[in-house]
Amino acid sequence: MCENIALIKETHEHKSIKDAENEAFEMLQKIELGEIALKRVPQCNSLEIFFVMLIRALMTEKKRVIIVPLFLLTSSFEDMKNILKKISVLNSDKCIYILDLVSNKNYYSDSNLEGKIYAV
Amino acid sequence: MILKVIMGIGDRTTAYFLSFFSTLKFAIICFMLMFNPNSYSPASKMVLIKQIYFTTVQIIPLFSVMAVLFGSVIIGVVISLATLYGLQNNIGSILITFSVDEFSPFFTALLISLRSGTAVNTEIAVMNVNKELNSLKEYKIDIVSYLFIPRIVSGIISVTALSIIFSMIMLTSGYIFTLFYLNMDLHTYKSILISAVEIKDIFTLLLKGISFGFVVMFIPIQSGLKTANSYTAIPISVLNGMVKLFIALFFIEVISLLLQSI
Repeated sequence: MCENIALIKETHEHKSIKDAENEAFEMLQKIELGEIALKRVPQCNSLEIFFVMLIRALMTEKKRVIIVPLFLLTSSFEDMKNILKKISVLNSDKCIYILDLVSNKNYYSDSNLEGKIYAV
Repeated sequence: MILKVIMGIGDRTTAYFLSFFSTLKFAIICFMLMFNPNSYSPASKMVLIKQIYFTTVQIIPLFSVMAVLFGSVIIGVVISLATLYGLQNNIGSILITFSVDEFSPFFTALLISLRSGTAVNTEIAVMNVNKELNSLKEYKIDIVSYLFIPRIVSGIISVTALSIIFSMIMLTSGYIFTLFYLNMDLHTYKSILISAVEIKDIFTLLLKGISFGFVVMFIPIQSGLKTANSYTAIPISVLNGMVKLFIALFFIEVISLLLQSI
């Protein structure tokens, strides 16, 4: 997965493979997913794949990141709070919009959305 | 009725030319990007290194054995025919023209097509069907620079390098036959070959290696990109790609023979 994430920096910023992979590994470690660094896609669960995709999106030059629909990845409200917490840990200067069903609105309104994270 | 037939022919001709020109345009884009230093990001360089390893280095043991077997037998046939028709004096130029100009690049291109061409066609077709190419585009990763250029460059390097290796092994193993058939010593054999080699032969070998190498990777990539959106379309894509590739290889061979005969 590290190789997968590092590809963005290698192609966009022509960073060396070592530097880009170190940066990717640091991002994974920030959200306590360092152990998936050497795994491949079929070996990861859907939540781990989601975070890899999110890190890749955060590494691009785009200012906005849109997530749809986050609640499907969780089995309980507690999981949701953890995911939102991890997203806030990862986020730097990008605006993150979470698009979800109206029926799931409560899960977001009760959560503490830190930084530039918006539930729409 | 006649009008429908004429319209049908017109439609097919237009479709054929549109397809031909889109392929030509794509080939020109790939060719131009090959010389652009910005196409070679660290990720592309890594793909290129891996591709050269898979296409060239991994095949060397099998390739060397085939070069010895085919080389000695075919050179034996050429020598016996040359002796039969009283062409012993021209044996050097016959061997060089046959092995360096013709047999080595063509045989290498066929072998690389069967081994790596099919693999690349399948790989691109699977990526296309799984929408992985779209994902890369979404992340603003240039698929031509990241996926296609390293494969095409590795194809050119592989076919050219392996053609040189093949012709050298072929000529070396050919000595065994000359030793027993013509009772020729190694020094004479070497002198005959060295005096027969011309710049034209080296130029032909390199040019054919580059041309074959380009099409051996370009046509499977192009075929993989045209795969319809289902897994069952993958074998059809590989089949079509290989047929087109073999036609292109024979076409290059015929053009080369025509140019050499002028």
